[in-house]
Amino acid sequence: MNDADASIQIQQMVRFIRQEAEEKANEISISSEEEFNIEKLQLVEAEKKKIRQEYEKKEKQVDVRKKIDYSMQLNASRIKVLQAQDDIVNAMKEEAAKQLLKVSQHGFFNHHHHQYKHLLKDLIVQCLLRLKEPAVLLRCREEDLDIVESMLDDASEEYCKKAKVHAPEIIVDKDIFLPPAPSDDDPHALSCAGGVVLASRDGKIVCENTLDARLEVAFRNKLPEIRKSLFGKVGAA
Amino acid sequence: MDSLRGQGGIQMLLTAEQEAGRIVSAARTAKLARMKQAKDEAEKEMEEYRSRLEEEYQTQVSGTDQEADAKRLDDETDVRITNLKESSSKVSKDIVKMLIKYVTTTAA
Repeated sequence: MNDADASIQIQQMVRFIRQEAEEKANEISISSEEEFNIEKLQLVEAEKKKIRQEYEKKEKQVDVRKKIDYSMQLNASRIKVLQAQDDIVNAMKEEAAKQLLKVSQHGFFNHHHHQYKHLLKDLIVQCLLRLKEPAVLLRCREEDLDIVESMLDDASEEYCKKAKVHAPEIIVDKDIFLPPAPSDDDPHALSCAGGVVLASRDGKIVCENTLDARLEVAFRNKLPEIRKSLFGKVGAA
Repeated sequence: MDSLRGQGGIQMLLTAEQEAGRIVSAARTAKLARMKQAKDEAEKEMEEYRSRLEEEYQTQVSGTDQEADAKRLDDETDVRITNLKESSSKVSKDIVKMLIKYVTTTAA
């Protein structure tokens, strides 16, 4: 083999080595691009999933908190309305209590005490019918004492007719009276708008028939009706 | 003389091998750099994605809608209470009368 052939062969070998290297480098470059895309996609997707889950959790917490807040506000609103309803109903009761004072005052019934006297008699008869005792203790306001004493016989007689019994012994308590009508001087003091309290001699059975007690009963009994009139539907007491 | 030429040929082949090694090595280095770039780009994308979600989250958290809802609820409640007071004032006299009648009438 002469020099020229040897040189050509070496050149071919050099070219082959370079070509092999370039092909290898090209393969590496192609795989590099593929792996770059795969690696980046995998990293992005995995991390995105984590971040998404993290924010979904955070948003869910915010959503729950908002729902709780709104529920609490709604509840507070309902309570406010119920409180307003309660205030309105109680205002009616207070107004009725004020009006009730006029019942036992001069000028409410035919401009004198005649009608109040009649009411007191009815209240005493009602108590006697409830107690059905042979002897009772009666308590009234000091300002009503004269009226009560003046119609005690009438009341006793009416009771006898209705209950078909002998006249009971009615002892009027002149030591302890029911509280007087409320005054502007002390609005928080114990007061009574009128009426009577009767009890058995031993004090075990008591029939409270004051106007205030009757208003309480009336108010309690009529509350659903009152609520319906005021608010259009029967509300809870 | 022949041996010298032979050595020259071998040298050429060795040089070619070294250059081939450098070419492949450069490709591998480029590949490593590309993989690092993949990681860097992924991180950058993640930061952008995170900040976008954070922005959306902050919008959701900021209570503008909530405050509006609360105010609307308050206003509705006040209107309802005003209406209650107005409607009840129309029947209050009748109710008081009814209570007084109940108190002053005995069924004895």
